Amino acid sequence: MIEDLTSAIEITQRIEAPPEIVFAYLTDSRRFVTWMGVGAELDARPGGRYRIDVDGEHIASGQYEVVDPPRRLVMSWGWEGHPTVPPGSTTVEITLTPEKDATVLRLRHLGLPDEGERRQHRDGWQRYASQLAGALLDGTPILPSP
Amino acid sequence: MEAIASQRRRQILRLVWSAERSAGEIASTVRDVSWPAVSQNLRVLKDSGLITERRQGTHRYYKADRRALGPLEVVLRQMWTRDLDRLRELAEEEARARRPRHD
Repeated sequence: MIEDLTSAIEITQRIEAPPEIVFAYLTDSRRFVTWMGVGAELDARPGGRYRIDVDGEHIASGQYEVVDPPRRLVMSWGWEGHPTVPPGSTTVEITLTPEKDATVLRLRHLGLPDEGERRQHRDGWQRYASQLAGALLDGTPILPSP
Repeated sequence: MEAIASQRRRQILRLVWSAERSAGEIASTVRDVSWPAVSQNLRVLKDSGLITERRQGTHRYYKADRRALGPLEVVLRQMWTRDLDRLRELAEEEARARRPRHD
């Protein structure tokens, strides 16, 4: 299985609803957009693709790898046009475990570029942007004259 | 001078952090500087990828591009936490509606 946890996010959420309902919110386009993004096209079957309009501007997209209702969902994840996290570059795994009348949802976002990799990344803007963000926060001016 | 400019940019960034704002709204909030100065700051922020601009007719709207603003993990964690919380509320609401009433 996926062992690399060095650059992963893990979130656990207890939901007072059966796994079938929770799974529907993860895979049914109509329900999906009620909690994430402003538009979504989901073809939730192994090998199927999805596209999520996150905020009217940024598109997240990828492919379903595992669709095992109502227990487990694995998909590739990335932002279209993103320098370090393009589509296919990271993996999101969601597992649903029933617990009495509730469901424990565990989400893992795996394969994120680590800090070192990002620093080495040759694409200029992100590096510049993070320097600028630092300057904005501590007040040190590092801005070149436009 | 640069430090003041930087403080100003920080103020603008805070303003567009959680909501998109029009150029007019930003200018009326950041009152003590001239419009050209605000406009210049907006351009610097935009060029550096910290905010995004949307044009609609003759109006321009700005908001922070939070992906560029911090460690990726932090941004993604915030996104998932916020969104999954919303999923929880909606799924629980639907489950309650389906459940037979006891009262």
